[in-house]
Order: sequence, then structure tokens, then C-alpha cells
Amino acid sequence: MGTATGIIRALNSGIKHIALKRFTLRYPEEKLKFVGDGYQFDPSTGVGIAGLKGRHMLFHDHCTGCQLCSIACEGVAEAIGMVKVPEEWKQNKKSIMPQIDYGKCVFCGLCVDACPFYALYMTNDYELSSFSKEGLIYTPAQLAVKPEVAQDSEIQISARGATHG
Amino acid sequence: MSSPTLPPGLAIQKADERIMTLNVGPQHPGSGHMRIIVQIDGDYIVACDPDPGYVHRGEEKMAEYRNYTLNVPHLERPVIHDSCNILYPYVLAAEELLGLEIPERAKYIRVIASELNRCIYTQYWLAIYGIFLGHSTMFMWPAGDRELLIDLMEKMTGARVTHSYFIPGGIRNDLPANFEDVCLRQVNYFEKRIKEYADVFYNNPILISRTEKTGVLTRENAIKLGTTGSVLRASGVDYDVRKKEPYDVYDELDFETNVMKDGDSYARSRIPWLDMMESCRIIRNALQKMPKSGSVRVKLKPNPKGELGSVYKRIESGRGALGCYIVSDKKVEPYRVKLSVPSFRNLIALPHLLIGEKLGNMPSVYWSLNYWPVEADR
Repeated sequence: MGTATGIIRALNSGIKHIALKRFTLRYPEEKLKFVGDGYQFDPSTGVGIAGLKGRHMLFHDHCTGCQLCSIACEGVAEAIGMVKVPEEWKQNKKSIMPQIDYGKCVFCGLCVDACPFYALYMTNDYELSSFSKEGLIYTPAQLAVKPEVAQDSEIQISARGATHG
Repeated sequence: MSSPTLPPGLAIQKADERIMTLNVGPQHPGSGHMRIIVQIDGDYIVACDPDPGYVHRGEEKMAEYRNYTLNVPHLERPVIHDSCNILYPYVLAAEELLGLEIPERAKYIRVIASELNRCIYTQYWLAIYGIFLGHSTMFMWPAGDRELLIDLMEKMTGARVTHSYFIPGGIRNDLPANFEDVCLRQVNYFEKRIKEYADVFYNNPILISRTEKTGVLTRENAIKLGTTGSVLRASGVDYDVRKKEPYDVYDELDFETNVMKDGDSYARSRIPWLDMMESCRIIRNALQKMPKSGSVRVKLKPNPKGELGSVYKRIESGRGALGCYIVSDKKVEPYRVKLSVPSFRNLIALPHLLIGEKLGNMPSVYWSLNYWPVEADR
């Protein structure tokens, strides 16, 4: 193949893209759709359930304050600390629950695997930025709130290329 | 290695007055986090000394203080774009020490995750290669098409880059519902897209004139220097760990290895691209042969102890043969974890390739070695 033909073919290949749809996701306006409600773990079978590893969600009525999540995190990121909570639950006499520092968390989800009481799951919430370091520390009360996450766009493939519909 | 031929008027000057030492890196974006000390005579490189070690993270030492499961998140950090593949040998070795038998479905899903990760890594590498050659279209296209596979990995593992997906005992979670169809559709489209790179990049006469016959590594040198992966295959040696020592289910899958004879920058940049098409074929094949249901993870005892002894396992990563050696002394933590990484092996070839080249060719020769600084320092 000659030099001129090669250059023309290269240009032509680029020009074809004018007719293709835009692939870029316009992030703050459009948000990606995920599978499920976030990463979860079933201790009875020992296998996780697929989902995004985002912010955690703590179920106060299941948490016994056993610290297994905190022990698992010691070898990874040291993000989980056990703190006193004002209420007393019948299964959690010590009244301690995990508090997570998202400045340290690496979102590996091994704390969820460690929890034998279905008390700690992960959710689809990934927008955790904050103006201060203190704002990244989520208390047990904040972790109990189920997040509202907008999910509207998914990759769609057609004859005119792929796009985030 | 031939020395450059100098114009007669300049050759009579003393060598030490003519030669200038130039530091490329460690902060230069063209070198990554490493330094290449080059000595140049005019425009020609006369000596080259790669200087890695700026991003040493002590991964191997850290692995001696954590149990077999908790080692997973930090051991994938050296190559976050290829995080499934760098965990693969560790997981295989740990499973042998812990005496675990892995379910069949988990093996297939591991192969799919590993091949998707190889493509993700190669696309990133290709994007940077485009930037090194001043080809901005080749930066945009692979970076965009990589998103198709990152989306698949996100559905599968729950994280876009650092997946922490492989674990001693299998994989963390089963595939989501309806994943096979989505995967097949996006992988087919991805393959169609990367074939379009031929016209704009690989058959482009400007690229060919810049990379052909630069940084030639002969077959003998490639074997003698101990290079692996795409560098070795570009020099005409048909060596792929997936074929020679199949692990998990690679012996049941249908694929070929790509070999080129030239050993120049062009061949080294083309081999990973051809490998991506083979990866797409492996993924389709694995999706077809995979058992449709079944367990994916063996339930581990809390804090399992490894048997006395040592295990060495190798896999083929996006850059070449990646090995992991674990010594166990019957404790909860491994006694020693050693990663034998392809980046460091391939870097040894750099001084041999650059001598006699023009300085302007240095970035393309350097990046064609598929070198990842953090992985080499680990």
C-alpha cells in the first residue's frame, strides 16, 4: 500500500466517525445504571451477590457489635472503628457499632464478607466527596440511611455505534 | 548493537566534550515514575541506564503480616489496570497451599475476568502509546472503547478498576443475572471497534515509518535477556504461559498465540492488539462452555493455615509471564510472598534497544516494552 493511499484511508476512517453517535457519558446530568442494590454477602452459602461496591449500609437491628468487620479492615485500610451508640439493642448489649472513614476505605468489600449477621451491605452510592476530612467519617446513624441514587443511562449498541442512551 | 555513524568533521572531537547526559524522569510523564539516564551524542543515544525504584511500596513485606484473604486488596495495587491478572498467580498458589479444590464455574469466570482485564490493560497501554507518538486519535479511541469492558467488569465485580475479585477459594460473587448476553454484545462490538484501529493506526504509513526498524531486539537477545510476553513473541519466540503451562481451564479453550519475526517497536505494539482479538475469542468460547449454574466459591474456615512448603505459580498477564512464589510455615500468614513480574524482566532489554537510536524514538521504544513502573518496583 502506498503512502498516499495509507494516509487517505487513515483520514477516511476518522471521517466515518462524524456519523457515529456520541459515546461519552455526560456525568453529572446522566448517571450510570448498576446491577442490583450494591454488593451483598450471604454468610450461609459463603458467596457474595453482585452489585456496586459503594457506600456501606448498616442495619442497626442486626448488628451485634462483634467487631469482625473492624478486624477484617485492620489488615486492609483501618477505616472501620467501633464507636458507642446511645441506643441499646437487645442483641447488641455493648452498644458499639462500626463507624467508617471514607478517606481511608478502599471499597474492597471484605468487611461485608466478614459480617455473619446480615448487618453490613454495600450500596450504589458513590458520590461521597466532602469539603472536610470530618465530613468523610460516617457515623452509625448516617450509615443506616438508605441512599437515593439516580440511575438513568446504560450502554446501548446499535448500527450507529455505542452510546450511553 | 551498532554505533552511530558521525559526520567526518565532528568525529575528531573528544568524546567527553560531545556527550551530554540527560535525565528522562522520574517526574516526566513520558517515563512514568522511573528515570532513564540517557547519554546523547547530538541526536543519537550512546548509552542508556534505566533507573527504577521510585515507587517501591513494600508489597512483598506487607504480605507477610496479613492472612491469605486479607492480602488480596493490597496485592492488586501494583497494576490496578490489570488487577485480576496480578492476583491470579497469588490466588492459584494460595489455593494449593490451603488445599482447596475450586468449582468448575469459578474457573471459567476467572478466565473471563482475566481476559477482560488483559483487554482493559492493553487498551490503556495503547492509548498512552498513541500519546507518545503524538497520535491523539489513538489516545481517544482506546480510552473510550475501554469503557465497554470496564462497564462489564463493574457489573461483574462491583468496582471499575480495583476489583478485589479473585480470592483463595474461587471468586467473590457469582455473575449478575443476564450477564452472558450483555457480555457477548459488548465484547462483539469491542472487537469490531478494535479492528478499526488498523486503518487509523497500524496500517498508517506515518506510524510505520516511525516505529519500523527502531529498537530491534533479535530472537537470540530476547531469549538471552529473559524477556517475556509480547516482547518475546514480537521477536519470533512462540511462548505463552496459557499454552505452555495451562492453568485453570485454558487447556479446554480454543485460541492461538500471535508471533511476529521483526522484533522492532512496530511488532511489539502490534502483538498486544492481535492478542486482544484472541482474548475476545477466548471470552466467547468460555461463555459458551461455562457451566450455567453451580457454586463459585469454596467456604473457607476463618483464618486458614497453609501447609508447610512452598508453591510457585505462573500466569500470562497483559505484559507477560507473571509468577508468584509463596512459602508457608504453617501459620495464618504466609512466610514469604515473592512476585516475579514481567515489567522488570522486559526493562532489562531497554539499554540494548536504545543504543544507536535517535532520542526522538526513545518514548516509542520504551513504551513498546510494555513496562509498568509500579509493577517493577512492587
